[in-house]
Amino acid sequence: METLVELRGIVKKFPGVLANDRVDFELRRGEVHALLGENGAGKTTLMNILYGLYRPDEGEIYIRGRRVELRSPRDAISLGIGMVHQNFKLVESHTVLENIILGLRENGLRIDFESHRRRITELAERYGWRIDPMARIWQLSAGEKQQVELLKILYRGAEILILDEPTSVLTVQETRRLFEALRRMAAEGKGVIFITHKLNEVMEVSDRVTVMRKGKVIITKDTRETTKMELANYMIGRQVIFGRREASSKPGAVVLKILDLKVLGDRGYPAVNGVSLEVRSGEILGVAGVSGNGQVELAEAIAGLRKPMAGRILLNGVDATGMDAGKMIELGVAYIPPEGNKLGIVPEFRIVDNLFLKAYRYPPYSNKILLNWRRMLGKARELIEEFGVVTPSVFSKAKSLSGGNIQRLILARELSGIVGGAPRLIVAAYPTKGLDVGATEFVHDLLMRYKEMGSGIIFISEDLEELLLLSDRIAVMSGGRIRGVLAREEADAEKIGLLMSEAAIQAG
Amino acid sequence: MPFTLETRLGRIRVERRVGYGRLYSISMTLLSLAIALLVAGLILASLGLDPVAAFQVIFGVFMKPSLLLESIKQSIPICLAALGLSIAFKMNFWNIGAEGQLYMGMIASTGIVLLHSYYGLFNEWAIMPLMLLASFLLGGAWCLIAGALKARLGVNEILPTLMLNYVAMLVVEFLVHGPWRDPKGYGFPLSIPFPDYAKLNFVFGEPAYTGLLLSVLGAAAVFLLLEYTKPGFEIKVVGQSPAVARYAGIRVRRTILLGSFLSGGLAGIGGLSIVSGIIGRLRPGASPGYGYTAIMVAALAGLNPWVVIVASIFFGGLLTAGGALQMSMGIPRAAAQMIQAIIFLMILVGEFIKRYKIVLEKPGVSGS
Repeated sequence: METLVELRGIVKKFPGVLANDRVDFELRRGEVHALLGENGAGKTTLMNILYGLYRPDEGEIYIRGRRVELRSPRDAISLGIGMVHQNFKLVESHTVLENIILGLRENGLRIDFESHRRRITELAERYGWRIDPMARIWQLSAGEKQQVELLKILYRGAEILILDEPTSVLTVQETRRLFEALRRMAAEGKGVIFITHKLNEVMEVSDRVTVMRKGKVIITKDTRETTKMELANYMIGRQVIFGRREASSKPGAVVLKILDLKVLGDRGYPAVNGVSLEVRSGEILGVAGVSGNGQVELAEAIAGLRKPMAGRILLNGVDATGMDAGKMIELGVAYIPPEGNKLGIVPEFRIVDNLFLKAYRYPPYSNKILLNWRRMLGKARELIEEFGVVTPSVFSKAKSLSGGNIQRLILARELSGIVGGAPRLIVAAYPTKGLDVGATEFVHDLLMRYKEMGSGIIFISEDLEELLLLSDRIAVMSGGRIRGVLAREEADAEKIGLLMSEAAIQAG
Repeated sequence: MPFTLETRLGRIRVERRVGYGRLYSISMTLLSLAIALLVAGLILASLGLDPVAAFQVIFGVFMKPSLLLESIKQSIPICLAALGLSIAFKMNFWNIGAEGQLYMGMIASTGIVLLHSYYGLFNEWAIMPLMLLASFLLGGAWCLIAGALKARLGVNEILPTLMLNYVAMLVVEFLVHGPWRDPKGYGFPLSIPFPDYAKLNFVFGEPAYTGLLLSVLGAAAVFLLLEYTKPGFEIKVVGQSPAVARYAGIRVRRTILLGSFLSGGLAGIGGLSIVSGIIGRLRPGASPGYGYTAIMVAALAGLNPWVVIVASIFFGGLLTAGGALQMSMGIPRAAAQMIQAIIFLMILVGEFIKRYKIVLEKPGVSGS
């Protein structure tokens, strides 16, 4: 089989980091090649080099056997390389068609929209996608946006396709369809590179897999000849345990009761539209659903960051409806926000400042006016020890931490509460998103530990596997409503997917 | 401020410099100063003046005790205003209105003096404390207008603070042309001269000493506020990200109100130092742009209150040097201001180069 891409001895250094250390990589015609590794393993760096975004410090790139210099993505595109980034790069207010033909060289002064439209529709149908070229991007679901990104590349005749964590925004059903399309592309003789850290996906879709760890390639193998367990060991360099966690504790009193809650989203529409829920102490309530269906707004309402427009929130029987974030903190609500590196920390602040972002204003860390830094520093050192935040000192800036360590810092702050003791209620919104296997395991362990200590936990996630792993009950959310609550014994991926899609049909 | 420019020569990138040494920092400042003097020297030479003699005058300002004292005196309003701005800028509140807040401080101080002189209110010993309090409150209130607009209505603070400068200057014009005009002043737009107990000369009879004391106390207060108090911590969090502040349960609006008030208040005391320390009465144009210079000083000092003191004295010295150049060498006023401006500019450029580096990537050359 012909070799489409060959990377030899690629080295890329960033200040203080060796992102790629003499990496060899090969992509053949007609294969889906998974590039597996934890965050920070150097996968994306390597692919950005192949796409011409970075220049390697050392090493050679061969495309279809010819040595090339990639100075910019333009060079890469002209060699038939296309990349779909993790965050879509589409003009939201333009149509699908406009986005696809944007920047095409063949367009002269007059654009023949009709012929473009026909060709795009044909191309989409080849992969079983039904997309209206005249639809505007903001009207599309995440899955459809991704299809547009792929169409954009294919329309330019790319046959080397790079997908950076393409499933992180998709539902189970959408993921399945994406995989079918990728198989189809491979069958047509294209080469697909699929960056991921999810083992299931590697097993499901790829022909070969290359595992990276700490900037190095550990191994390249035929997928058929390996197992999930083996890959996990290569990926993190030690044994991993898969399996459901059993807790000894029984749920206790009701901590949070939500009655017919309605909350406006940023666009002024009700994002949460009549939600009623109950969380008991010592219980994890999973919230499943595709992101953007009101989960974050629900979490923010509970955390006091969004005023509900109707309904009630009761915390330990006390009416907390409409209280601000400060009051909610005092009532024992811990909130682990989505995208912790944006909302959860102040990157320019030191670690100690970030650990006391909430507790600084309560005794013993301050009196009426003055801060007690000595107390805070002492406690901060304990916390980074306890939560395993890897840092040279508590005076380092938070932005110097890796994603996993940032999440540890946020957990340390939220779970240690404002003055110690477990929080009454923990609202965790996508706490493992973007984390590698090791850090995810740590977050899971912590949530289980706090559950046993008697906290009530709302655990919002898109990852059904981890929801099934941790939750006592799973609420399925879509379109701002709870479509059903399943006990863990009766819940499985099919049932949850069904609840989500039924709602979609009703809504559609 | 990462920035990329594609040119035929290659790709020019401006990147933030990651960490630099103190020695590098100092030598860059000295280098930019040297370039500034070189350029200024060329201009002076083209005017037919002796650059070396002019530089002797400029450096003489920092050598001769009497001129040094004058420089320190000039630095006090700059320093107090810049200290206030440091608080605002830490809060990411772009207060461009220190000039107006200085004028409001002058009005408040003069008001107290007039209440005493005309109506005999207050005891003499109470005048100075009352002036301090009044100038702080009025300067603060002036900035609070913009703060309240931002906190309540989300109005960007830059325009309100800037435009209130003109309002404040016009209020001064109105007062000294009208109700506050000195009855014995032959119709000039001036207030009465301040009596001794309303002047900043109670330390060795020299306003520079009292003023320096004010500057140091002000810097200490700002340092303590930002590093060791709850409101200071809140101001810094709001400055980094209002969203994170809200998440942390900080009352963002209240913090903006407090921060903007304190910022204007310090400038208000700076206004007091002008009328009580430098001029001795209220008149229009009492500030030759101290409030604008303070913006540069705060930025150059990296919002560090202690460095603000030093930077203010340097800029106060440049102001003094301008006067000295006019007097001793007959250099035209505009030329003296030009030299000041060149030095300002070069130091600003030097600061930029210190913090950012410019990289040229040649095309066609691989990274190896």
